[in-house]
Amino acid sequence: MTPILAFEAVSFDYPDGTPALERVTFSVERGEHVALLGPTGSGKSTLLQHLNGLLMTDRGVVRIDGENVNQNSVRAVRRKVGLVFQDPNDQLFLPTLLEDVAFGPLNDGKRPAEAEALANRTLQELGLDTAGNRAAHHLSGGERRLAALATVLVSRPQVLALDEPTGDLDARSRMRLVRLLRQRDETLLVATHDLGAAQALCHRGIVLHHGTVVADARLENILADHDLLERSGLAAALDD
Amino acid sequence: MSFHHLDQYATTASPITRATPTARVVGTVTLACGAALLPLGAWIPLLALFTLVVFIAAVAHLPARAIIARMSGPFVFVLVASAGLLFLVPGNAVGRIGPVTISDAGLERFGFVLGRATVALGAAVVLVSTTTFPQLLGAFRQLRLPVVVTTSLALAYRLVYLLVDEMERLQRAAKSRNAGGGNASRRRLLIGVTAAGLARAFARGERTHRAMLARGYQGEVVALESLRWDALQGVLVAGLVVVVLATVLFAHVAP
Amino acid sequence: MAHIPDGFLSAPVIAATAAVSAASLAVAVQRSRRTLEEREAPILGAATAFVFAAQMLNFPLGAGTSAHLLGGVLVAVLVGPWSGMLVLFAVLLVQALLFQDGGIAALGANTLNVAVIGGGVGFVLYCWVLGLTGDGSRRRMVAAGLAAFASTTLVGVAVAGELALSDTVPLVPALAAVGGGHLLVGVGEGVLTGAILALVARSRPGLIAAHGTAERGLQPWAYVVLLTSAGLAVAAAYIASARPDALEATLRGLGVSDSATSYLQSPLAGYAAPIGGAWIAAIVGVLVVFLVIWTFVRFGAKRRVSS
Repeated sequence: MTPILAFEAVSFDYPDGTPALERVTFSVERGEHVALLGPTGSGKSTLLQHLNGLLMTDRGVVRIDGENVNQNSVRAVRRKVGLVFQDPNDQLFLPTLLEDVAFGPLNDGKRPAEAEALANRTLQELGLDTAGNRAAHHLSGGERRLAALATVLVSRPQVLALDEPTGDLDARSRMRLVRLLRQRDETLLVATHDLGAAQALCHRGIVLHHGTVVADARLENILADHDLLERSGLAAALDD
Repeated sequence: MSFHHLDQYATTASPITRATPTARVVGTVTLACGAALLPLGAWIPLLALFTLVVFIAAVAHLPARAIIARMSGPFVFVLVASAGLLFLVPGNAVGRIGPVTISDAGLERFGFVLGRATVALGAAVVLVSTTTFPQLLGAFRQLRLPVVVTTSLALAYRLVYLLVDEMERLQRAAKSRNAGGGNASRRRLLIGVTAAGLARAFARGERTHRAMLARGYQGEVVALESLRWDALQGVLVAGLVVVVLATVLFAHVAP
Repeated sequence: MAHIPDGFLSAPVIAATAAVSAASLAVAVQRSRRTLEEREAPILGAATAFVFAAQMLNFPLGAGTSAHLLGGVLVAVLVGPWSGMLVLFAVLLVQALLFQDGGIAALGANTLNVAVIGGGVGFVLYCWVLGLTGDGSRRRMVAAGLAAFASTTLVGVAVAGELALSDTVPLVPALAAVGGGHLLVGVGEGVLTGAILALVARSRPGLIAAHGTAERGLQPWAYVVLLTSAGLAVAAAYIASARPDALEATLRGLGVSDSATSYLQSPLAGYAAPIGGAWIAAIVGVLVVFLVIWTFVRFGAKRRVSS
C-alpha cells in the first residue's frame, strides 16, 4: 500500500539561509498516529508546513497519497491534509465561528447552504453547536482549540497535522481534546512538547533535532531512551 | 470608546431584531438622511421624524435609558461643535456670555442643527442596539457594497480585537517604564506602540493568509448567505422610505 | 471623534459630496482590481484593523488637547492609493453606523475628506514630494510626513468649505476655526506618519517601498483643467453664497477694493431662490471635483511600483 505520507530526503532553508530541514526521510501509513517530537526550533512547524504546500522545497520530495506536492497538485493536496496551527487565532479569522468552519467547504466549491449545513454538523460533533454565531474571542481557550480543529475537520481530510494542539490548555480541556483525537481514524501527525499527550495519542514517534531526524521508532522506546532524550533536548519536557 | 462594547447588544426579541439586517440598515440610513437633509427651520418635519424614531425604538423594546446612555457621548460632541453657531452667525443680539454675543439667528440655527443631529443619532443608536457586527456585514453584502470593503471588514473584525489587546498590553508595559514622563515622552511611547501595532497587524495578516491557503483559499472570500427579505418587511421599509422622502420634500418645497 | 456629525451639512452639500465620493470609490474599486493579488484580502484586512485600532489612540498635543491619527497617507503608502481609499471608507462606514463617529448622511462628506482628500490626494502629494526629493527609504518617510501634513490641512479647508456652503457657519470663521485646527492636527499627523513609517521600515523595509513612484508633476494639459476647475469652483461658491456680503467682506478684508467688489455683485444681483442657487452650486461643485479627479487619474500618478 502507498504510504499516505512520505518525505524523501527533504531539505529546506529559511529565506535568510539558515538550514531548517536536513534530508528528512520518513513515511507514514494510513491510520497511523505519529508524534513529531523536538525542542523549539527543531523544525517541527516547518516540516508540517511542507505537508500542505505552504512551504515547498526543491531538494527532496514530499508525497501525499502518492502524489508529489508541487504548484500543480497543491490544491488537491490541501483537500487531503488538514493543518491545525499552533495559535488557534490564526485559523479563526472571520466574525463568527460558523463562517470560519464553513470557509473550507465554500472554498471547495460547495454551495453556501450546503457549506453551512456541513459546518453546523462539524460544530455539533465537537460539542460547539451553540457557539456558531459567536466570535472566537468569546470562547474559552479550550473551545477555541476545538473550534480551530473544527475548521479543518469539516473538510474530512485524510491526514490531520496538528502543531502543539494542547498548547496552553488547562488539564480538563487538554483531556477532552486528547480523548477526542484518540477516537479519530484519520492519520495523525502531532508535533508536540506535551509528552503525556503524545503517549496518549500516538504509538510511534519521530524525533527532530536541528532539522534532522534522529529517531523514528515506537514512542515507548523513544521515551525510555534517556540518552536520546538528553541529546535531542527533550529531557526537560519529560520532567514536566 | 472601548472597542469591547462593540458586541454588547440588546438581544431582546422584537419585530426590529427579527427583521433582516438589511432592512434595519436601510431604515436607519433613511431616517438619518431624512433628518440630515431637512432645510434649516423645518421644525415640524423634524418633529415628525423624531416621533418616527421614538416609535421604532419603542417597537424594538429598547429601554430609554440605554438609548440615552449610548447617545450621550456623540451628543455631547455635537453640542460642543455646534456651540460656536450661537455667536458666529450674524443676527440680532439676544444675550451675552462674557465677551460673546448670542444672536437670535444663531440660537435658532444652533437648535436646529442640534435637532437634526439628535434625530439622526437616535436612528443610528437604534441600529447599533439591535444589530451585531456580523449581521451588519451581511447587510452590506446584500446591499452590494464593494467586495473589497466587505471582505476587508470581515477579516478586520477579529484582527482588531487581537490588535487592540496587544496594543493595550504594549501601552501598559511602556507606561510603567515611563512612569512620570511628560507629554513628549508620552507621545514617543504612543508612536512606538502604534508602529508596533502596525507591524503586528501585518504579521497577523500574513499568518491569516497562510491559514486561508491551508483551507483552499484561491483569492476570493465567499460568504454564507444572508437572511432573505419577506414581502411584509419589504412593504414596511418601502413605506418608511416613502414617508421620510415625502417629509423631506415637503420641508424643502413648502414656504 | 473627528468626523463631521449629521446635522451640520445642508442637503445640496450632502448630495454633492456623496456623489463625488461614490464616483471616487467606484474608480477605486476598478483600479484596485487591476493590482489585486490573491494575497491582498488579508493585507487589506490588516490595514483596516490597524486604522481602527490606531484611530482609537489619543495623542496629547499639549494644553489639554489631543488628536487622533487619521491615517490617510499612512494607509495609502502601505497598500496603494486605491485600496487605501477603500480601506478608509470601510473604517468610516463602520464608525458612522456602529460608533456614531461621523454622521450617516455625512458619510459622503467624510469619505471625500478622509479617504479621497486625506488618502488619495495625500498619495499624489507624496509622489510629488518624492519627485522633488528623489527616492530613498528616508526620503519616503519625509515625503509621507509632508504629504500627510499638507493633505490634513486640505481636509480642514474642505470641511470648512462644506460647512460654509451648507450655510451652517460663515466661511471666514469656519476657515479660521476648522481650517486652523486641522493645520495643527496636520503637524501631528505629519510627524506621526513619518515616525511610524520610520519605525516600521526598520523591521519590514519592503512594506514602505511597495507603492508610489516619484512623480515630477502632471502633464501640461492637467494644469489647464485644474485652473479651469478652480475658477468654476469659485463661481459655484459665489452662487451658493446666500450672503454675497460675506464674500464681499472677505474680499475687502483681503484688500480688494470696493469698486471691484461692486462689479462682482451686479451680474448676479437679481438672482432669486437661494435654494436653487445652492443646488446649482452643488451640481457645479460636483462637476468640478469630477474634473479634478479625472485629471489626476488620466494625467497624473498612474504608474505604480508593486513588489
